[in-house]
Amino acid sequence: MSGITIALSKGRIFDETAPLLAAAGIAPLENPETSRKLIIGTNRPDVRLIIVRASDTPTYVQYGAADLGIAGKDVLLEHGGEGLYQPIDLQIAKCRMMVAVPEGFDYESAVRKGARLRVATKYLRIAREHFAAKGVHVDLIKLYGSMELAPLVGLADVIVDLVSTGNTLRANNLRAVEEIMPISARLIVNQAALKLKHALLQPVIEAFESAVSSHA
Amino acid sequence: MRTWLLPEYVEDILPNEALGIERLRTRLLELFRVHGYELVIPPLLEYTDSLLTGTGSDLDLRTFKLVDQLSGRMMGVRADMTPQVARIDAHLLNRKGVVRLCYCGTVLHTRPRSFTATREPMQLGAEIYGHAGIEADIEIQRLLRTALAACGLGDARLDVSHVGVFEALAKHAGVDEKLEAELLEAVRAKDRPRLRALVERLEPRSREAFLLLPELYGGREVLERARNALPAYPELRAALDDLEAVLNANGGPMGIDLADLRGYHYHSGIVFAAYHGGLANAIALGGRYDEVGKAFGRARPATGFSLDLREWVRLAPEAPPAKAILAPYSDDAKLRERIDALRAAGEVVIVELPGHEQTRAELGCDRQLVLKNGNWEIVSL
Repeated sequence: MSGITIALSKGRIFDETAPLLAAAGIAPLENPETSRKLIIGTNRPDVRLIIVRASDTPTYVQYGAADLGIAGKDVLLEHGGEGLYQPIDLQIAKCRMMVAVPEGFDYESAVRKGARLRVATKYLRIAREHFAAKGVHVDLIKLYGSMELAPLVGLADVIVDLVSTGNTLRANNLRAVEEIMPISARLIVNQAALKLKHALLQPVIEAFESAVSSHA
Repeated sequence: MRTWLLPEYVEDILPNEALGIERLRTRLLELFRVHGYELVIPPLLEYTDSLLTGTGSDLDLRTFKLVDQLSGRMMGVRADMTPQVARIDAHLLNRKGVVRLCYCGTVLHTRPRSFTATREPMQLGAEIYGHAGIEADIEIQRLLRTALAACGLGDARLDVSHVGVFEALAKHAGVDEKLEAELLEAVRAKDRPRLRALVERLEPRSREAFLLLPELYGGREVLERARNALPAYPELRAALDDLEAVLNANGGPMGIDLADLRGYHYHSGIVFAAYHGGLANAIALGGRYDEVGKAFGRARPATGFSLDLREWVRLAPEAPPAKAILAPYSDDAKLRERIDALRAAGEVVIVELPGHEQTRAELGCDRQLVLKNGNWEIVSL
């Protein structure tokens, strides 16, 4: 397609991206929360949004199905970021990647060097690298949601998950013991599109950038 | 398991596409030949010691390996033919002057480069050895341009970069190997947030320069911006002058991206990539790799490019072949004479074997030879 396609996910990313899109002069014609459409037009005939699952955003952009995308750093690290440019930290959808354990679990002695730990997580790559750097052997259990449950029913010793308010952890008698990294959303760009559609994309990228830095 | 299933990312090429690939291959190799590039055919597999010498760990991971029953040594199926051709230049030809070589063959990858890639690309390329000057870079890029135009891809965009820019910045900033690798990764991904964190402790001049690098892409104006904003190290100036010379010498759509540092450890000067509207990845990659020959005992200036024929044939489909002429099975000498004449003139003539009249339509003929008044005449089918 000759215009711009922007991939983003529903919910927090879409809500917090809306002001940035507005700064670039782009207004969605429909709200994805109420519309069932997956391709949403905008006030600009040459710009469209596609609504994808958060973890799919890098894939759509990598293969050029979308020129731009908004994706959390967590998703990018799991994807590997291959074939993508990620020029701007948008400072939105902020949270932290944490290790959490059940109340009463002695994390410090569980992670002494050479120990072995069962870790439930959706973020295999991040968890693997984090524990490898600490010199702790881990058995990773891939889950797709409700990680908090795993240590409570004996499926895992600890979990690695995104924490924003910590309410879910507290409600389930878990506590965050270690921050792996702060997470926020990035603007990602298809490498070929940046070259072939430079004149179209550059103003959007610059508008995002100045909107972000005026907030910081 | 169904026995006719092929492994993932491995496929058969069926008649129309196979014909297209063969025509494209012939056309490109003929084009290289008249430009003075000699064809070489390296082996499908060789000892990993020579196959992977002077290349990165990336190629190592991408290479299928097996043990040679004759020598007990590890062999690899080539995943890239360029090092093989460099070995031929360095070792076998042993010429003193400029050598121009071209090649075409199947390579094998342990993992596909992307979800849309094959694990068995057909690599075709051309290389110049023995000339360190910018003239060789210009010649090889012109050859790529000509090849693109010959395949109806003349509107492809050629993006050039020069690893000397990053190299000079890293050297003068005095960064250690680990930081250099991290900087490289951040610059390549145009990941400015990470870059900002990495350059924090560098002196201001280097810090500014690294932070600017991801933004130095676009058209010719990039060179002006780079000259004004980057430090005036002599190596860096020379790199920018080289880029300008390449830009001046080449026609067609061109771009510059100083952060495009693909194969940084392997390349040593100007690198380039061709992009075409339909695809998210580059359709041809090339550049200078003066150091690779050293691993084979003879450092030779070298530059070249390669492409995947299977990808090109999809971008530049060949016109469907002309329909064939059907001939009956017969011992008639006059018929055989007529068929020979038609075939010599380039027509496809298919003889229908007895008993297959029912499936005649599958042969794709639009005419047939019919005996009329003692003469074999062509009538439409």
